[in-house]
Amino acid sequence: MKFFGKIWPRLYIAVAIVFFVAPLLSMARFAFQRIPVISLGKDNLFKRWTLDGLFTTLRDPEFMHSLSVSLKITLFTVVVLLVIMVPTTLWVHLAAPRWRGVVETVTILPYVVPPIALVVGVSGTYRSIAPWFLASNYSLVPFYAILAMPFTFRSLDVGIKALDLRTLVDAAKSLGASSFRVMWNVLLPNLRTSLINSAFLTVTVVLGEFTIASLLLKRTLPMYMAQAQGREPQGALGLGLLILVLTTILFTLVSIIRKKDATSISSKNINGGMVP
Amino acid sequence: MSALEFANVSKSFGDVNALINFSIALEQGELVSLLGPSGCGKTTALRIAAGFETADTGSILLGSTNIIGLPAHERRMGMVFQSYSLFPHLNIRDNVSFGLRVRGVRNEARKKRADEMLDLVRLSDLGHRMPHQISGGQQQRVALARALAAEPHVLLLDEPLSALDAKIRVEVRDEIRRLNRDLGVTTMFVTHDQDEAMSISDRICVMNSGVIEQVGSPRDVYDNPASSFVAHFVGSINSLPKGNTQTLIRPENLVLTTHDQNAQWRGAITDITFVGAFTKISVRLENDDAPISVLAISTQIDHNIAIGLNIGINEAAQ
Ligand SMILES: Nc1ncnc2c1ncn2[C@@H]1O[C@H](COP(=O)(O)OP(=O)(O)O)[C@@H](O)[C@H]1O
Ligand SMILES: [Mg+2]
Repeated sequence: MKFFGKIWPRLYIAVAIVFFVAPLLSMARFAFQRIPVISLGKDNLFKRWTLDGLFTTLRDPEFMHSLSVSLKITLFTVVVLLVIMVPTTLWVHLAAPRWRGVVETVTILPYVVPPIALVVGVSGTYRSIAPWFLASNYSLVPFYAILAMPFTFRSLDVGIKALDLRTLVDAAKSLGASSFRVMWNVLLPNLRTSLINSAFLTVTVVLGEFTIASLLLKRTLPMYMAQAQGREPQGALGLGLLILVLTTILFTLVSIIRKKDATSISSKNINGGMVP
Repeated sequence: MSALEFANVSKSFGDVNALINFSIALEQGELVSLLGPSGCGKTTALRIAAGFETADTGSILLGSTNIIGLPAHERRMGMVFQSYSLFPHLNIRDNVSFGLRVRGVRNEARKKRADEMLDLVRLSDLGHRMPHQISGGQQQRVALARALAAEPHVLLLDEPLSALDAKIRVEVRDEIRRLNRDLGVTTMFVTHDQDEAMSISDRICVMNSGVIEQVGSPRDVYDNPASSFVAHFVGSINSLPKGNTQTLIRPENLVLTTHDQNAQWRGAITDITFVGAFTKISVRLENDDAPISVLAISTQIDHNIAIGLNIGINEAAQ
């Protein structure tokens, strides 16, 4: 019994590792080994590794352009979302708890509407009232904001629920804080983790979105990668791996910050226990 | 001129009348308790004074100024809440100096004042701690220090002790009374606990369903209740048949007797509870279904009284 109790978790982890690592390894070999795919095998596992393909792609001006487009769009999307969603979520909690369900449902709506319908509908509207906007890369921002909205709402919602919002706001006001002060000095600092979380989720949504970008013919990073796959498959795959690694690093940083917030609470709690 | 005055304040939420023609004036330095059962409008009164709720009619006077239109953050009302309200991201000292910070007081002066206030509530060692690292009683004392540091015109306390356990509750209660006396800060203290109100207040304002039943000193409210509601809510009271009417008598004004055959009332003992300084004895009157609760000093009672014993009751001579 004990034997099985030990072996099953290990077997499970082993299978998981194979499941996740094997494709990554295959990708890496394809991207970084200068050997025809057909002859990739056990014997040449350590032979002729090179980053040339990746560097070729990284030097491609098209790549730099698409990267900068995607980063700008990401930044704008994060800002637009937070500017809209932070006050909305706070308002729902403070003044209109009955509307929470409605807001939550609205944020999920885009997942019920197929992207093509969204694009056709929204671009139709833009075409008639502001055609110049569709020409700009930033026309993606509203779409991406809509796509990332459920994550932002949930993350903020959870963060706010953990606070005694009403009491904190009232306490701050009774101490002389204006609404701006309440927001800046009390609410935002206490929602820090939520804000970082939702920004991070927005980044992953924007950097992974292909359908809408391709429907609107924007040269974003995912678009570039899809096209580069035909021209320069090794470089495109190498780039994919690079992004994966960078995202993992970013995610690790975020969870370190998150953990720092959490452990500063728990470790100090232990000291706190010694207070008479 | 009073320090804080409610003049004919009314407030309703939908069809609930939370406050009806609420009028009371607090003298400078006075501690007045709002006492009443849950839902009688105590919090609503405080929140209207603090500016968190708008009155339907009536005015709030601070000195001689009507502040009814003033936003909450310009009223300088120090408030302490029922739930813990320290800012979780600031340490204790920064919590205490928050009011000065938003007013633009310089860092050094802020720190000095915060330390003084922490000294005042005897928590000077805890300035660097975070709120979650200190106990509930300490948190409420810090909340007091924080409210006082901003030099409020009036201190508004909304059941600040109700989340604390009994022993700490008495400590913090006495702390509040001491601060009120030492600093001379006008204080409005909300509670549903009559012992709390009795022990801390200059005057008690007894409320019921949005209406003031009586305002008076603790002694006054206890000895001369203005209504049956006040008599029953403040302390225990027996309603005893006398002739064709009922008379209200406090338990301590009844004397139990085993030998007086002509006692005013007779009944059987249904319960004996030893409380420490005294013993509570419940008696069910003859020809009466409702047991009445009788309080007697333990030394006055024979050792042989027991549940079921038939006993006589007299009203004590005044
Ligand atoms: N924001 C509100 N919305 C609706 N009803 C409320 C609100 N605040 C208070 N009430 C109602 O007003 C009455 C008085 O409430 P409150 O002042 O909180 O009483 P207390 O503090 O004495 O327990 C209660 O019936 C309560 O349900
Ligand atoms: Mg209340």
